[in-house]
Amino acid sequence: MTRVVGHSLPRMDAPGKVTGTAVYAADFALPGMLYGGVLRSREPHARLLRIDPSRAARLPGVRAVITAADAADVRYGGSVKDEEVFARDRIRFAGQPLGAVAAVSPDAVATALAEIDVVCEPLPPVADVAAALAPGAPLVHEGWAGYTALPILHREGNVCNRARIVVGDVERGFEEADRIFEHRFTTRSVHQGYTEPRAAVAQWDSAGQVTVWSNTQLPFEVQSTLSEILQLPPSCVRIIVPGVGGGFGGKLRIGVEHFAALLARKTGRAVKVMTTCEDELTAAYARQPAIVELKTGVSCDGRILAREGRLWFDTGAFAGSGPGVASVATLMLAGPYRIPNLLLEGFAVYTNKTNFGSFRAPSGPQANFAVESQMDIIADALGIDPLELRLRNIVREGEEGPTGQVLAAVGLEECLRKVADAIGWANRRPGPGRGKGLACGWWTTSGGSSGVYVKVNPDGTVALNTGAAEIGTAALTGAAQVLAEDLGIELADIHVVSADTLATPYDFGAQGSRTAFAVGNACRAAVADLKTQIVTLAARQLGVEESVLTLSQGAVCVADGGPRVTLAELARASQASGGGLIAHGTFVAPPTPYDAKRVEGHVYPAFHSPSFHAHAVDLSVDEDTGEVSIHRYVVAQDVGFAMNPAYIEGQIEGGVAQGLGQALSEEIVYDNGRVLNANLTDYKMPTALDVPRIETILVQHPSLVGPFGAKGVGEPPNIEPPAAVANAVASAAGVRITSLPMTAEKIALARLEQKR
Amino acid sequence: MARTTLSLSINGECHELSVEPSRTLLEVLRTDLGLTGTKENCLDAECGVCTVLLDGVAVNACVLLAVRCRERSIVTIEGLAAGGELHPLQRAFIDHGAVQCGYCIPGMILAAKAYLDEDPSPSEDAVREALAGNLCRCTGYQKIAEAVLSAARAAR
Amino acid sequence: MRRVSFDYHEPTSVREAVELGARFGRDGRFLAGGTDLLVQIRRGQLGPRHLLSLHRVPGLDAIEIDGTIRLGALVTHRQLERTLGFRGALEALIEGAQVVGGHQIRNVATVGGNVVNASPAADVVPVLLALDAAVTLQSSEGERSLPLDAFASAPGVTACRPGELLTHASFPRLPAQSATAFLKAGRRRAMEISLVCVAVRVTLDASRERCLEARIALGAVAPTTLRAHAAERSLQGRPLSDEVLAEAGRAAAAESQPISDVRASAPYRALLVATLVPRALARCRERIQEAA
Repeated sequence: MTRVVGHSLPRMDAPGKVTGTAVYAADFALPGMLYGGVLRSREPHARLLRIDPSRAARLPGVRAVITAADAADVRYGGSVKDEEVFARDRIRFAGQPLGAVAAVSPDAVATALAEIDVVCEPLPPVADVAAALAPGAPLVHEGWAGYTALPILHREGNVCNRARIVVGDVERGFEEADRIFEHRFTTRSVHQGYTEPRAAVAQWDSAGQVTVWSNTQLPFEVQSTLSEILQLPPSCVRIIVPGVGGGFGGKLRIGVEHFAALLARKTGRAVKVMTTCEDELTAAYARQPAIVELKTGVSCDGRILAREGRLWFDTGAFAGSGPGVASVATLMLAGPYRIPNLLLEGFAVYTNKTNFGSFRAPSGPQANFAVESQMDIIADALGIDPLELRLRNIVREGEEGPTGQVLAAVGLEECLRKVADAIGWANRRPGPGRGKGLACGWWTTSGGSSGVYVKVNPDGTVALNTGAAEIGTAALTGAAQVLAEDLGIELADIHVVSADTLATPYDFGAQGSRTAFAVGNACRAAVADLKTQIVTLAARQLGVEESVLTLSQGAVCVADGGPRVTLAELARASQASGGGLIAHGTFVAPPTPYDAKRVEGHVYPAFHSPSFHAHAVDLSVDEDTGEVSIHRYVVAQDVGFAMNPAYIEGQIEGGVAQGLGQALSEEIVYDNGRVLNANLTDYKMPTALDVPRIETILVQHPSLVGPFGAKGVGEPPNIEPPAAVANAVASAAGVRITSLPMTAEKIALARLEQKR
Repeated sequence: MARTTLSLSINGECHELSVEPSRTLLEVLRTDLGLTGTKENCLDAECGVCTVLLDGVAVNACVLLAVRCRERSIVTIEGLAAGGELHPLQRAFIDHGAVQCGYCIPGMILAAKAYLDEDPSPSEDAVREALAGNLCRCTGYQKIAEAVLSAARAAR
Repeated sequence: MRRVSFDYHEPTSVREAVELGARFGRDGRFLAGGTDLLVQIRRGQLGPRHLLSLHRVPGLDAIEIDGTIRLGALVTHRQLERTLGFRGALEALIEGAQVVGGHQIRNVATVGGNVVNASPAADVVPVLLALDAAVTLQSSEGERSLPLDAFASAPGVTACRPGELLTHASFPRLPAQSATAFLKAGRRRAMEISLVCVAVRVTLDASRERCLEARIALGAVAPTTLRAHAAERSLQGRPLSDEVLAEAGRAAAAESQPISDVRASAPYRALLVATLVPRALARCRERIQEAA
């Protein structure tokens, strides 16, 4: 029984948040600060012939106008270095930055932006994946072959990666199959919908170093990207994250930090830049639209014998996260199933849209929607219960994943059975127009390293110094709970300092469901070292053997209640003569072995400490309008070990809400490269009246690696809602919707079509 | 556009300001007065993060001209905790795990307060309806509704 | 981002308001709640040089229930929702007001602003139309009244002359054996611009077996809120069986002129009219029976 970790303790940053005193990047300001704004292209595809800032620069209150001429001619980017700060001679998406203005007020900025002269020659946009792959299609990047890129990628023309998994022989598998099922699914782009816009304040000092306060999820990555853009060593760039109002992956890559830094350099003043709602819906890192083609061969008793799957991501104007997402997609197309023959491909395709990015479980909802919808179609065709079909095919403990990794701590059967039981699976159609559906899946706990410093203060409290940003998940509270547990202190005794590339140790970042896992483990490593220091000092002070000492209740004592000395006293003693009690702890997840022969162009060949999950939903469909009403929604998620049950529930409840948005109402609507609904009136996120109560069941099959056996929990809840809902709608209304979002309109018109 | 002088009562304190009429209450609060507890996002009255109380009633500060607020009483999140004591709603939001990233929370708490001041024993449906103008992307609203219901019960 | 700039005035009487209106003409706009106007100004869709705020003009925020019901232009949606006198036969006024935005919007947004904004998807306007409402306009030339039916001619375009102020909307008391109902379809359950909304009024004869009179108003399926006259006529003198209601729904759908846009397609909007009109009529039928 644990004392601190594993309990639903209130998060450490709650008081600041409920009183409005917590400062987010959007709130951050410096005296004498200027405001910055970005001029964005209206054309989705064009030759940029001329951009003339001179009239704008002369306006009252304007202190600088910058364009590509003011930025170094460098291309940056994660897997492919194809991105530029401002378009130089080619515009590749509507919303692409062309220039920026710094002025004394937001009004002056707005006026100046309108006065920047842009002359461009529109070109026909490559509007979608089909257009990009058509024979003779124009190239979004004519110079693609000359870009620096990860050598492992398979790039060709408008395809900036093709990732592939090959296992066995799918053709032979299809020959052996009794039935073959082929389906096509499509999904639209959805936005993370964080309520705090992206924001950055930049200020240069006299030594030519810049500090940027921003709401990035990855301060160290932004430091690296910005140093490339500014052509400075990273040590000249300091990123500090005051507070983040939601990220969900949309605040991973550089957002407005470079505009703020360049404007601040030119003006010699601090400059603040924020995105507008319109910027977010046109020029942000939303989820890639996807096309999935899935061909699955099964035996007559429902065993999956072969699967051939392709997933095309519209990655937009720049590669960005595309190559990685295309790789992860292949593991999601396999799903948590035992399939002896596989040919799975993920493509990231350039188009003239914003460069889409990473949104909570990138590729997950799209691939899972296809895989789990098809499972139900197969079940229906074979006359097998959908739960039973899954149980026949899911991977088990010790079996292999699609790339040959050995799977441990596989809690999937328990998740499936519990969720089916909770929803009342025996009665799948409780009434006319009403039905139940389920879906299951798996996901990773991302790797990457984390470092922490832990030091004991002279009053016995402890400072946890981490490079990770708290983005809202309470991951740092979870990590602090681990620290408190190991050190024999209370959560309230810990103060957290975080996310400052100068003052905190390196952290791979708040992404991939890894933060509590990795920072928690780094804390464990730090405590191991700190304990040694503490016990050595205490043994000397108390005159006892080190082996009889334990840490408990903020002190070090002899096991059976003998002499004790408090951490506070030890800290003071060490400060006076030993430099203080402080330890450095690091953690990096050990690589997961897999069969490299099975993969090509693959940036993400194995899921580390994988989690498993199942969702079930009970809903009704209005017979005429097609509107969906959800009666119950149940999630069973294998979290390994629940570090803080209340906040894990919070992740599940919020993730399902976001997933239901993608399932039923959210889409960024494009017309030939232009967004038609770039405002919150017409981008429909669920309100409090739209989200049902979510029932959560926490399943715990401890991981081998995570702190106390924990696995990553943040992303998975986003994965299964579209498929679970699609399956329930099929059960309730007798129609199978294969495109997201599954609006009432689609359902109603599908029923009408069926009646004919 | 001529500036006008204006006296605003915010959290019981009087502030003398000189503002252009096009300035919204949200801009005045955040930029002129440094009260950043009230948040900015869509600026279109669609998301509710800018919710404040105007004479006790929940409104979106982003579509309220500051000059319209003279002789009205404004309460922001900073004015809720009386004498250093958290308001029961603030307490309940902490205790029920209703706070994640926290950016929607000031607006959410004020909207909840305005509603409970009118209807001290709401159903969960009524609470959700009262908060329908406050978007939250992190929590799925569940623990928020639980916190509000709990605060309502505690007050009775 | 747009630069927002205007001169601001706070008249303290209707007379002063219309004088300012006359002075500024097309360069001026009256400001009521501001939840539509200020958003449109910020988005650059409107750029009035003068805003004439009405909040200090007394007498515009009253609801009077008499032989006629008068709603002052500054009556908020919140006031409509809470007016006990509208429970019962005038329930649709409450139902229409309740679905507009969230509480923050309804606390501030006004009936007058909603009518003058003339969005074809407005929610309260169809209800007023189904109640045979008229609007009263004041200008420096005097006062005039218009049927609401003749007020809006296109999205955002009304019969208001430059500088003319809408002071109130009014409608006659309903005859006995009457009920109203309002239904809305949207992609989500709140904060929604209607895909389609319908407001109906039904009056039955003394025996409560046949329909004496009906009004059917449709929102979001034409350039303005629309009365479905043929559908209304199809109900006259007939018992309100489900078949008769369904027929009225089909007739209303045929009279509507929906477009396809980012919110919904035309065929789906027509389907919604054909579905929601009978449902709203059935609700009226039930309400009249219950009241008896």
